[in-house]
Amino acid sequence: MTRSLRRRTLLAAALLATATFVPAAVAQDFDPDATVRIGSLYEPQNLDNTAGAGQGINEAFNGNVYEALFQLTDAGTVEPRLVDSFERSDDGLTYTFKLKPGVTFHSGDPLTAADVKYSIERVTAEASKSSRKKSLSTIASIETPDDATVVVTLSARSISLPYNLSYVWIVNDAAADITAAEDGTGPYALAEWRRGSALALSRYDDYWGEAASNAEVVFQYFTDASALNNALLTNAVDIITSVQSPDSLAQFAGNPAFTVTEGASTTKELLAYNDRVAPFDNVKVRKALARAVDKARLLNSIWGEYGTLIGSFVPPTDPWYVDLTGVDPYDPESAKALLAEAGYPDGFEFTLDTPDYDPHPIVAQFLQAEFAKVGVKVNINIITANEWYTKIYQQHDFQATLQEHVNHRDIVFYGNPDFYWGYNNPDVVKLIADAEAAGTEEEQVAKLTEANRIIAEDAASNWLYLYPQIVVSTANVTGYPINGLNSQFFAYDIKKAR
Amino acid sequence: MPARFRFDEAAACSRLPASPVDTRTRPILSYVFRRLAILLLSLLIAAVVLFVLLRLLPGDPANALLGVGATEAQIAAARAQVGSDRPLVEQFVSFLSNLARFDLGTSFVSRADVLGEIGNRMSVTLPLTAFGFLLAIVIAVPLGIVAAVKADRWYGAAISVISQLGIAIPVFWVGILLVTAFAINLRLFPSGGFPLRGWEDPGEAAISLALPVVTVALVIAASLLRYVRSATQDVLGSDYLRTARALGASFSEALIRHGIRNGAVPVISILGIELATTFLGAVVVEKVFALPGLGSMLLLAIQQRDYPNVQGVLFISTLMVLLTGFAADLLQRVIDPRLRARGGRP
Amino acid sequence: MTALETAAARPHRSASLQLGLVLVGLHVVVALLTLVWTPYDPGAMTGGRLEPPSLAHWVGTDRLGRDFLTQIMIGSRIALIVGSAAVAIGAAIGITLGMLAAFATRLPDDALAATLDILIAFPTLLIAMLVVAASDTASLGTAILALGIALSPIVARLTRILAKRVLLLDFITAARTSGTSWPGIVFRHVLPNIWPTLAVNLALQFGVAIIAEASLSYLGLGAPPPNASWGRLLQEAQGTVYTAPIGAIAPGLALVSLVIGVNLLADGLRDVGDPTRRRGA
Repeated sequence: MTRSLRRRTLLAAALLATATFVPAAVAQDFDPDATVRIGSLYEPQNLDNTAGAGQGINEAFNGNVYEALFQLTDAGTVEPRLVDSFERSDDGLTYTFKLKPGVTFHSGDPLTAADVKYSIERVTAEASKSSRKKSLSTIASIETPDDATVVVTLSARSISLPYNLSYVWIVNDAAADITAAEDGTGPYALAEWRRGSALALSRYDDYWGEAASNAEVVFQYFTDASALNNALLTNAVDIITSVQSPDSLAQFAGNPAFTVTEGASTTKELLAYNDRVAPFDNVKVRKALARAVDKARLLNSIWGEYGTLIGSFVPPTDPWYVDLTGVDPYDPESAKALLAEAGYPDGFEFTLDTPDYDPHPIVAQFLQAEFAKVGVKVNINIITANEWYTKIYQQHDFQATLQEHVNHRDIVFYGNPDFYWGYNNPDVVKLIADAEAAGTEEEQVAKLTEANRIIAEDAASNWLYLYPQIVVSTANVTGYPINGLNSQFFAYDIKKAR
Repeated sequence: MPARFRFDEAAACSRLPASPVDTRTRPILSYVFRRLAILLLSLLIAAVVLFVLLRLLPGDPANALLGVGATEAQIAAARAQVGSDRPLVEQFVSFLSNLARFDLGTSFVSRADVLGEIGNRMSVTLPLTAFGFLLAIVIAVPLGIVAAVKADRWYGAAISVISQLGIAIPVFWVGILLVTAFAINLRLFPSGGFPLRGWEDPGEAAISLALPVVTVALVIAASLLRYVRSATQDVLGSDYLRTARALGASFSEALIRHGIRNGAVPVISILGIELATTFLGAVVVEKVFALPGLGSMLLLAIQQRDYPNVQGVLFISTLMVLLTGFAADLLQRVIDPRLRARGGRP
Repeated sequence: MTALETAAARPHRSASLQLGLVLVGLHVVVALLTLVWTPYDPGAMTGGRLEPPSLAHWVGTDRLGRDFLTQIMIGSRIALIVGSAAVAIGAAIGITLGMLAAFATRLPDDALAATLDILIAFPTLLIAMLVVAASDTASLGTAILALGIALSPIVARLTRILAKRVLLLDFITAARTSGTSWPGIVFRHVLPNIWPTLAVNLALQFGVAIIAEASLSYLGLGAPPPNASWGRLLQEAQGTVYTAPIGAIAPGLALVSLVIGVNLLADGLRDVGDPTRRRGA
């Protein structure tokens, strides 16, 4: 156990130092006309990221089919993409973006400022189902003085505007419905989509930048992890984007035909309480439940030797990370004492809404056993992803739930009292708002680090562990992203040996 | 006390006609018309059942169209769009008229045309069912006859035992076993998936359906075999077979000339039901092999509460099932010497 | 039960009946045992992650370190409950519908027959899937209800066919002319006559229900945790089938043995109940 923990720490440290590392064997002689087949569990529901398409569409399309003004790279930095240069006014409220010249959409239309305005407004529109809508709410107006210039005026300063714009696809304003078609500027165009099975992208020949190093990318979709592993084992796919269990890794690790890479993860498994309702509105109850769970053992049950323990919602790759695992360490005795102090000496009973897919049901059973030891009874209620979205995310009708949060830099959710978990600490709300309005990055980091410490002290949720981010490929492909931040999977640098 | 009836669904079906009309003497054409009327009636009943079932599903279908924090006005607009704000009778009438025009609407989630999507999925499910079923017949009929005729030999008994085993093993288990053996270990077939461009490359598509077809076939064959065996046993004990042998025909000659035709009748009525079961039961097999068929479409639609898709898949499958039953009845009518003697040749 | 007694009294009990009795009996004993004793507490995490079989854990442990044997034993109990409850529901609905159809006059009978044909055409699994989806929360009760409803058309169809045959017999005509009431005819004449055949079929449906539960679990629509149904154990073990195959094999064997046991028992009872049955040429 100690050995594996140390191994984890070392890995995390190494990853922090070098956010990316290139898989050992770099293909010298690659085939520029190769087809790269990527196996994934996340088939998009449709092709429009503002129409409830799911995380799969970001995986397939971000950076590949659609580009944004900025790009969140696999290393975690935000870099200009379709923006040639930009200026921020001294008060921080006006951004002037100059667009890259010579960019064309796959339909052949040139990129203009009107397309950018249209694209941002698509995300902020009332009917938009984009989960990122709220973070763009400070945009007051968008002007297009000429075809190459976009001026965005904000109602309040927003230091993460470039970051937030990195997920706003720039779509041709002439493209009406993009739920089954696309018109982006990326290095690939959509070739074919067979629902329930696969989505193919082919290299776009008039791409403004460096051409993709493969001719075609096919995302093959699976509904269960075993079928996905089998596909890689039998060479039906070249890469699997995220391995779901250590048991499937046993088949690939140590086999020279495959490359296993562990990247920096941002995916957190958490027990989210509805902090609005009793008894979870009581910080002592939340702290007691945080201490009642042997998280090291849970992580070992789910991930064997992989994964990392976290003490709050912030993964080691976020700049405001501090090690907070010591705030509420595993201690069932003090958990019982805290429950008694909170007025629950005999414990209580609650319903845990558990999504019906792995790992949530098994995590729920673990929690059930752990909480029983401190007198708290858990009723496991299995729900579908769709019910989770309606009942919990939209209607906040729950006591506690399990969920995995995949995003990078998402501590901001704790600054929104209307978020599904309903955590409402005015200090945190203010710190997070101030951080967004900060003049410098140092200031932003300081404020968010402070907020991070407070949510940990408040045990706002029960952060169980950080998933490992593991990509496995056959040994003859290289150049794929290993961190998969915000579910992105850039395919244009993937090289397949001849 | 009257004699006890032995259990045998196949035999029971053969002895008693499936519907009263069969016992009457009437020309085949009027039989076809009557059967068509029943078909339409069944479709109407199916539509009612479907409508009721879908209204039983919890939640307002309009929810699927809404984003987070939708306003009252948006909710009302969404309800108007899906029609869930109208009275039930009105909803039912428009539901029926849409079905009659094969207008199955568009998916709430993918926004795709439901009928078009069903068409795509059929290119997987239809061949999977048809070939799986044919293979099942090829396996079950000879083995079933052998199991009945040679019940006293070791191989006759062995066939019966293996079919017992086949019935008791869940379909997905058979599928996983076949994948482990033939895809992972022997690398003879792909472990799952369907080519992106479907049947454009027929060879590739056929190979990707090979293991799923065998899985379907084995499972169906196991239960079919039991029917074939008991139908054969009935034929063996029948008077006409004894008469034929008394008149000097050899055993195998009597069996082939009289037995198969008579034994086929109950088996065909079971086949109709089994084919429908196979068609819809493909959902599990499609999941094991990650195939983009009708079953996986339905499973996803149920999970996502994608009402137009659920409704569309169920309606089209019901239609297929009823047509199969219709065809099986007609075939039975043509083959059955007793019914034919009364009804005349078509 | 009379058929069973007759069977027991017979000197030459069929081999299938004997084997069936042993298999089913074994599961019943285990199921009863779990009411008072299991090797471990089913929720207790007493071992390491996916331990192989050992003296302490005869069938090893699951991912959370819980004893597999305990869960499989409890699975016997759940399977017997699921099977019998689903069959009871299916029988109650199916026999009622089937009788109505058999007694009904021609036109409604046609309609009912057509409806039954549609319903029976949908496999058990599909109907069960819809019923599960129609309920707000997943539970063992929902799964049982779903399976029961799904089995009912099969029972109804068979009841209708069998009852119609009995209704054509002379003694029914005699009873009718002598003024016996409809319920009297059903309970005194029809049901007792079709019951042996029906019972054998219901026993077969028991196996169908258990397999369908496993398939529902495989599709993620079955009994939720902490119910250790075999189907759910199989589904959970699927991801660890290469590292800990025993977790997938053991519940599978348990399931197959019970289904075969029940089917053999049904076959045996049929053969015993029907002395005229001719086997082979």
